[in-house]
Amino acid sequence: MPFDPHFIARLIPALLEGAKVTVELAALTMAICLVWGLLVALAHSTRGLLGSIAGGYIQLVRNTPLLIQLYVVYFGFSMAGFGLSGFASGLLALCAQNGGYVAEIYRGGLQSVSIRQFEAGRALGMRRRTLYTTVILPQVIARVIPPLTNQSISIIKDTSQVAAIAVMEIMKITEVWVETSANTYDVFLGAALIYLALTSIAGLVGKLAERSLAFAQ
Amino acid sequence: MKELGPLIHSFWYLLRGAGMTVLMATSAVVPATLLGVLLALLHVFGGWLLRSAILGYLFLIRGIPLLVLLTFVYYLMPLTGIDLPPFWGVVLVISLYYAAFVSEVFRAGILSLPQAQWDAARSLGMTRRLMLQIVVLPQALRLSAPPYVSLCVSLVKATSLVSIVGLWELTMAPFQIFIGAAAIYFCICYTLALYGRHLERRVLLGH
Amino acid sequence: MEDTLNDASSLAIELAPARQRRPMLEIAGLCKSFGALEVLRDVSVVVSPGEVVVVIGPSGSGKTTLLRCINLLEEYERGTIAVDGEPIGYRTDGRSGRRARMSEREIARARERIGMVFQSFNLFPHMNVLQNIVAAPVRVRRIERRQAEARARELLAMVGLSDKVAEYPIRLSGGQQQRVAIARALAMDPKIMLFDEVTSALDPELVGEVLAAMQQLAGDGMTMVVVTHEMSFARDIADRILFIDGGVIVEEGKPDQLLFAPQTERVGAFLKRYNDRYRI
Repeated sequence: MPFDPHFIARLIPALLEGAKVTVELAALTMAICLVWGLLVALAHSTRGLLGSIAGGYIQLVRNTPLLIQLYVVYFGFSMAGFGLSGFASGLLALCAQNGGYVAEIYRGGLQSVSIRQFEAGRALGMRRRTLYTTVILPQVIARVIPPLTNQSISIIKDTSQVAAIAVMEIMKITEVWVETSANTYDVFLGAALIYLALTSIAGLVGKLAERSLAFAQ
Repeated sequence: MKELGPLIHSFWYLLRGAGMTVLMATSAVVPATLLGVLLALLHVFGGWLLRSAILGYLFLIRGIPLLVLLTFVYYLMPLTGIDLPPFWGVVLVISLYYAAFVSEVFRAGILSLPQAQWDAARSLGMTRRLMLQIVVLPQALRLSAPPYVSLCVSLVKATSLVSIVGLWELTMAPFQIFIGAAAIYFCICYTLALYGRHLERRVLLGH
Repeated sequence: MEDTLNDASSLAIELAPARQRRPMLEIAGLCKSFGALEVLRDVSVVVSPGEVVVVIGPSGSGKTTLLRCINLLEEYERGTIAVDGEPIGYRTDGRSGRRARMSEREIARARERIGMVFQSFNLFPHMNVLQNIVAAPVRVRRIERRQAEARARELLAMVGLSDKVAEYPIRLSGGQQQRVAIARALAMDPKIMLFDEVTSALDPELVGEVLAAMQQLAGDGMTMVVVTHEMSFARDIADRILFIDGGVIVEEGKPDQLLFAPQTERVGAFLKRYNDRYRI
């Protein structure tokens, strides 16, 4: 029976518990990737072996599905003897993949700053550090915020796949409740609403960040 | 020699999986693209009611994970009594999901066309339909091609979700299956990605 | 030879007196605002068949907007525009004075006989030169493709680009693209040609070839309305010059009179600034 209020009253706290895990996972991933992605991007920009390895890493994680990466991490580590928890495996796989995407976002942001900005700064006699911190970096930051916002929304949605290795985030809880009750609609509706709420909040945060950190481009 | 048996079995299993991936992806790409282009046109040229409906649809797709939608349909199918094989149910959901992204990519392509092209076409006495047909859409398609290929890569990767929904049992599989599957996906996706980069270079030159 | 010419011209005058006297372009009381900004205030212009009218004025004076209103690339709030006696854009009910916008189809049909050349050429980049020129004649006026292509080649010869038939716009210089744009507009056999600062985006050495093409067009008797900065060209080609500033026609007159003995101070100041730098 859809819209059974007793059922919903029990459902919501359970889903919210799952939401907590989802948010933890997504937030940690985003925080780690902001740094890790930067490192990868920097490595990629160098020539030689490091650059090639970074490039290969980016291509590898972008062209294989997250789910496969999850399985590889989870079962791989357990086979090797250091069993990782579902959450840890999920975090590792999510960071591995999104690190690649974030690195490309940084690269795109830097590339999109016109070369004339560099020339103008150098013509004014700026040295490398000043040029980058006062001219280039602010512009790069402004340009990467929208794609990073999109990426964070993508991360929130990707956490749902961690259900495959039994992490109690929203999707897994949905699955469990659907299996054990007849109210399929209610459960999915609840899950959908929570995801919509989370992604909308992420979008709003992104817009705010855009407004305060960016300026007229 | 005894090792070979399970290995061949794995290989065969992988091959079937690869076949299913390719079939699923190509089956989903066509309706996703057609619907996406249609939605983009309606979004750009439609009235406020249509646009609001499409915006609502985009909001839902953007905010809900594909896996949730897939699982929902998977559990729903038997209940509604519609006799759809699970394979095609998945194809349907993936198509509807990616149609939203295709529409946004294509819409961006249309909107990025300089106003000057519209002016020139109009000044020659073209009706809106003719304008779209020979001036706007050909150029919008070319402009949208590189991000569209990225979407195709995404779609191919999304077919992996069927293992969760139970269509392709992976969790019980030996480890080398994962590596094999990863390799197959990588080959397909990397090729597409390279093609996308080639298209990007061509677009930059032509305009 | 002279006798036959005289006979021909007097015959022409006898045969079609009405057509000769009907203006090719009539703009009456045109008013346009962009939001709160009034760009055109009660502008009226009459252009006779075969006349070349050049519009000059400072930036932001409304001259481009005026041109774009003629073929309704810009909407306007008040006024009427008629080309060869037919209203375009809006029809005004004689009695009630209320106006109704013509249908998209009617407007498109009217635009077929008005040719426009733009500052940024606006060739279709995904088609080659020939395809650019025949696209509209074939698809809009339903002219048979072979006939349209033959005409296209004629026009390309006229602007001196016969050898570029199969080239794509990206391979052409600005001047060449602009000449193709002129040929493209001419392929529709327009009654009147509108030129919107067509040389402003060109390198100086490419300007001449475009102006030469326009001169030829004028010589062949085309009715033209030209918005330009090129004052010496204005003097060479214009039958009449209009000076627009602040959305109003400040002065109009024959080139030698307006350019060298302007009657209003604003025109004088504008020309003086121009003269100081370029010499007409």
